[in-house]
Amino acid sequence: MADAPTFDSAKAHLAPEPLAHNRQLFRARYSFDGALIAAAGVDKRIHVWEEATRRHYTLPGHATWVACLIFHPAEARLFTADYNGAVHAWDAIKEGSPPLFTITADRDNTRALAITPDGAHLLSGGDDTVVRMWDAKSGGAVREMRGHAGPVFSIAVHPDGKHLVSGDLFGRVIQWDLSSGKIVREFDAKALHTRKEDFIADVGGVRCMTFNPDGSVLALGGLSEAESNAFCPGKPLVLVYDWASGAKKTELRYGFKSDGPVNGLRFLQDGVLAGWGEHLNAPTQLVFWKLDAPEPFHKVAADSAYDLDLHPDGTRLLAPVFKALGPGGNGARKEHREKYVAPGALLTVCNLFAEAPKPPK
Amino acid sequence: MLGGLLAAGAAGLPGLMQRGIAEEIRKRGKQVCFIWLDGGISQFESWDPKPDSPFAGPFRSIPTSVPGVHVSELMPHTAKLMDRISVVRSMSTKDPSHSTGVARVQRGDPVNRGVDYPFLGSAMAKLLGAPDNGLPPYISIKPGNGGFIWQEAGFLGAKYGALALGDGKPPIHIRRPEDLTAETDAARNTLRRLADARFKSARRESEVDAWESSFSNAEKLMARKELFDETRLRPEDVQRYGTHPLGRHLLLARHLLEAGVQFVKVTSFHWDSHGDHFNTARQMVPSIDQPFAALVTDLEASGLLDHVVVVMMSEFGRTPAINSRLGRDHWPDAWSLAITGGGIGRGRIIGKTTDDGAWVAESPFDVGHLFHTIFSAVGVDPKKAKYRNQGQPLPIAHDECGPITGLLA
Repeated sequence: MADAPTFDSAKAHLAPEPLAHNRQLFRARYSFDGALIAAAGVDKRIHVWEEATRRHYTLPGHATWVACLIFHPAEARLFTADYNGAVHAWDAIKEGSPPLFTITADRDNTRALAITPDGAHLLSGGDDTVVRMWDAKSGGAVREMRGHAGPVFSIAVHPDGKHLVSGDLFGRVIQWDLSSGKIVREFDAKALHTRKEDFIADVGGVRCMTFNPDGSVLALGGLSEAESNAFCPGKPLVLVYDWASGAKKTELRYGFKSDGPVNGLRFLQDGVLAGWGEHLNAPTQLVFWKLDAPEPFHKVAADSAYDLDLHPDGTRLLAPVFKALGPGGNGARKEHREKYVAPGALLTVCNLFAEAPKPPK
Repeated sequence: MLGGLLAAGAAGLPGLMQRGIAEEIRKRGKQVCFIWLDGGISQFESWDPKPDSPFAGPFRSIPTSVPGVHVSELMPHTAKLMDRISVVRSMSTKDPSHSTGVARVQRGDPVNRGVDYPFLGSAMAKLLGAPDNGLPPYISIKPGNGGFIWQEAGFLGAKYGALALGDGKPPIHIRRPEDLTAETDAARNTLRRLADARFKSARRESEVDAWESSFSNAEKLMARKELFDETRLRPEDVQRYGTHPLGRHLLLARHLLEAGVQFVKVTSFHWDSHGDHFNTARQMVPSIDQPFAALVTDLEASGLLDHVVVVMMSEFGRTPAINSRLGRDHWPDAWSLAITGGGIGRGRIIGKTTDDGAWVAESPFDVGHLFHTIFSAVGVDPKKAKYRNQGQPLPIAHDECGPITGLLA
């Protein structure tokens, strides 16, 4: 039996033969035991793969795009949320079965879900600005937390299970006491929001957030210095805070031309932070930072990604990545009408160890 | 005077007041309000939602006041007055580029005859003749800087250009300095005209025309500075239109139309949503829905809607396919516009796209058809009326097109 490969984030590389789907997927997550991958996006369905066998099946899904999903930390229970505000709970291993329960978690788009480490409570946030706590077993409403003035884009539960952090479109980040629902303090992430005088929309927002395993560091990702509200080009930015003091430790940048937001962040077992995002006019990279330097020490060329997850065993990252399946870009396209199809997705895995040597020819 | 009457009428005074307003309105010629969403509003997220299409966005489609007709949930105000506007869902044009598409569309995409055709506002100033109300015939409200945009007049000559109000503000120096008497000001202008005439004798006419038109239009507005007096705005109107630039600019457009300006163009930039489209559309589409609905409501309440053609459009729509930045790119192949007002039927949905929304399924129309329609609605017969450029007769609209007859009242 071959030895397990040695973890080395500096040798991170994309694994061959990613899982593919013929419609865009925005979110992809590993189950608590790493056996399942669940992903969802524009086709409204929930797609589940058994990672070892690549067997694929679907859960019935939603009435509109699925905005986010999250697994229970100890069960094969999956929670998915959509742009109409509906959250469904599923038994992820029962193919085609209806939701265990459904809740209306937001007036409009439920953009973010999180779950407490003990699996008891589900948290949601979205366009109506309210952060809500739910009983994860029954779907019963527990608490509403009001403090944001704009859509809530991301939420994360601190590893201590006692606090929640939520970030909104305007870069306001609030720490909540989960037992009382009261605001504890705020973090200033306004750098992740842009509204210039000539804009007709706000751009940016706290697109993703994550804690390191011991909860001593909080990282927030998004886009800074947007140049317009049309193309939304800007500078991807990660803000890193010391949890104990609340002070900003550092700002991490791509260090090369890139123009889209950071959509996913994950801390690795060696303390390295991995980030992945979007691009339009510049190359996207999956990048790796050590927190003592603002620029990445390692990068992997890749296409735009909308989420990022870490396998429970810590050896690989997972991201839903854009894949064009037909002619894209500006029309007119009448001459390509037969080939004009909606884009798809690749569930791309990045291995966090040295690539196996190729067999001799 | 009329502006005041209209404000009172719109506030709901019935009877004699309304009849007095109607009498005033009957004396008017036709007017146009042209709302230009520069960059391209998405048809999927506005007039032609296709919730079951593989290209659909995440937003709901909602019913409107026209049975069976749905629009995006991002347009709740307009949905309620769909029976008072019409929508063309089958615009199909050729140009996927802003740099050439904007001018081509606003010129009506005429056959290339080696001359620059006028933009719609300049064309109207020429074809309808400037009304005798002491106001510039063509005012453009736009973000950024103002000035006199003579280039829009094309071969018609600079005097048909647009007086642009940057951010809806009047031209700078519109107010005569207090220490300058009216007599001194008149003498100063006489001297300027003499200098212009001398300057003109040795130069190309258009250069001087542009300056003369600029002064002339500024002079006209100096006499109507109350139009820009923000203290006269009713707070409830400000709230109904919205305090953002589009709201303020469409409210000003209403005042200018009430005052009798023949052609008012309102431009909003940054609709070119190649990136983060669904987050920005959630903000941008409501920002035009609210003031557009308020404008149509007010024009109808005052009776002006029977005299003003209101058009809202872009140079193209947006791609069905969603790109890697969750944006939509340029799509001239199948897109939508809204139109209402004098000479235009209401509550009509013209044309149809395929079930996936990507292509025109029925009744494709180019912008030449639209220009024929607008000219017909204001009483200019595009088959008979001709421009003359240095003696050469030129059609006023694409001569291979005709009006969209289903739109005409």
